[in-house]
Amino acid sequence: MANPTTRETILAAIGRGKPDLLPLPETIGFPPNISVDNLVDSFMKMVQTNGGQAIRVPSLVEASAFLAEEYDLTLPILSRVPGLDISNFTPQEDLRLLDDLHLIVLQGIVGVAENAAIWLDETAIGIRAMPFITLNLSIVLSEKNLVGNMHEAYRLIDTSTGFGTFIAGPSKTADIEQSLVIGAHGSKTLTVFLLP
Amino acid sequence: MDTASPKHAKAAEAFLRDEENTDWHNETLWFVRSKRDRAAQSLPEWEQLREQASQIKAHTLSKLDDYLIQLEENARQNGIIVHWAANGDEHNQIVLDIMRKHKATKIVKSKSMLTEECHLNPFLIKEGIEVIDTDLGERIVQLRNEPPSHIVLPAIHLKKKHIGDLFHIHLGTEAGATDPQYLTEAARIHLRQKFLLADVAITGVNFAIAETGGFVVCTNEGNADLGAHLAKVHIACMGIEKVIPQAEHLGVFLRLLARSATGQAVTTYSSHFRKPAPGQEMHLVLVDNGRTRQLASPDFRNSLKCIRCGACMNTCPVYRRSGGHSYHTAVAGPIGSILAPNIDMKEYADLPFASTLCGSCTNVCPVKIDIHQQLYKWRQVLGEAGAVESTKKVGMTGMDVLFSHPWLYRFAGRAGRWFMQKFPSLANKPGLNPWAIHRDMPKPPEQSFRDWYAQQNQKTNG
Ligand code: SF4
Repeated sequence: MANPTTRETILAAIGRGKPDLLPLPETIGFPPNISVDNLVDSFMKMVQTNGGQAIRVPSLVEASAFLAEEYDLTLPILSRVPGLDISNFTPQEDLRLLDDLHLIVLQGIVGVAENAAIWLDETAIGIRAMPFITLNLSIVLSEKNLVGNMHEAYRLIDTSTGFGTFIAGPSKTADIEQSLVIGAHGSKTLTVFLLP
Repeated sequence: MDTASPKHAKAAEAFLRDEENTDWHNETLWFVRSKRDRAAQSLPEWEQLREQASQIKAHTLSKLDDYLIQLEENARQNGIIVHWAANGDEHNQIVLDIMRKHKATKIVKSKSMLTEECHLNPFLIKEGIEVIDTDLGERIVQLRNEPPSHIVLPAIHLKKKHIGDLFHIHLGTEAGATDPQYLTEAARIHLRQKFLLADVAITGVNFAIAETGGFVVCTNEGNADLGAHLAKVHIACMGIEKVIPQAEHLGVFLRLLARSATGQAVTTYSSHFRKPAPGQEMHLVLVDNGRTRQLASPDFRNSLKCIRCGACMNTCPVYRRSGGHSYHTAVAGPIGSILAPNIDMKEYADLPFASTLCGSCTNVCPVKIDIHQQLYKWRQVLGEAGAVESTKKVGMTGMDVLFSHPWLYRFAGRAGRWFMQKFPSLANKPGLNPWAIHRDMPKPPEQSFRDWYAQQNQKTNG
């Protein structure tokens, strides 16, 4: 419950205690260290470093074929990428049923070459839990939507949607003796298809 | 004021008894620190990036009230319910009230040092609520009934054998199993059930954005997202210093955070929450708990810039060899030793002394907090307040006298060398000389540096 007294007390204490106004830096961020020609290479290398795999494909047909080869398409699969029609699963109201999801394919919006983070917002994701609860995650991304670093990414993405996330690989942990284990709570694999 | 007992030193002594484990702890954290170095070196603009981050934070602190009001307004417009808490008790009560309103009995938490600072878990458990920490490291220490020993690597003080034994008892894994892959899988299955059945999810907040009224949560495991998206109610808890002005500033902080923490280029998930999903409820709790006091103190306010990356712990020679639990506070290590005495000066008076003041923490801090200088200042503040334990004070006053009387310094040096040459076993006796615990005193030089220098001078000048 909102407590007006606490709010006022805190704000008043800040007013009394804060230092004199200090300016924001005039420019925020830096130009990328990766040249335009190297965006794809750098991005693909970073996907791998993060524990995922990146594949360059000429069209969605090849992506589709690769997925058919790699995954058992009789298991619950959902694609939200137009033109990549391998869905056999309709998400239900009951989020618990998503626990069965074997693979989901999503359309990435912007990819960052420096760290291989891919921005997905609510329009791309649909039900928010899906990219996290699925066993395997695949993201399709156009090479045209690669940028050098995070500063460039924030200039392009729309942070006014209800939810959005940068995903940079399969879920991982190193909490047991610092040994890296891929597949903590979220997806155990990430496959990124880079289209022209 | 009573003088504080040297709790850190005593607890560290217990940790040091297992020498093999101490060595492992030390080396592992140094390994993480080296990864941080490589990640930092990969960015030519690293130092300027730190400077920008530091300036953004300094600016934010100088307008903190305005930004919090802006955050609150925008968050409300987004449909988030905003709460203010003056201290840990108020924070805990707010969480409980939300639980009661929804008749909720099960809560999943993703790592939040703030809830640790407020002692939320024991409070909720006493109220009959099931509280499950879902970050793997946090779950491990929770099953052991321990607090986390590190803000980023909560179970860094444990070896896989400990975890294997623990999971055997609690999760039914095979006896003697130590394979991290196997143990992680067992935790995944166990925690999936908890995620699917939880009524409420609690997450921390890495950054809240005044401009958008949203907040960002960073994890590698995806536990914050699984919890928040599956439960009907999401409560995000943040210290008031976590606000930043604009979304654009996230570019600076996200480039620094994971690189400083683990040497990764970015965390696996950097999730931007802005509005509750249809049919869900989202709360944001803004907590003071001593932060406004810290802000009002020019000497210590810089510590509020902290983005909780843990780099200062990984590099600290004292932390690495004494373990996080020896700090007996939620946030251990160099930064924790600045924050804790602000909350309770008497209880934590020993912590600013658990540092060599070597400055390594200051060198790695991504937001350029003058950590070692603040620790040094705390020592003076505590000394003046009479909160310093007497043996330390004798040493310090002694040094004061020594340094302000050059002749005495020269005499003491000569006397010391004479004493150590004649009675080396006495100088090595831990009971008499605390410096001799866990180390042999070096053989004293035949001649003081001062005498040697004078002699050299004479030689060259003929
Ligand atoms: S004080 Fe600096 S180095 Fe230490 S945790 Fe905070 S941000 Fe990281």
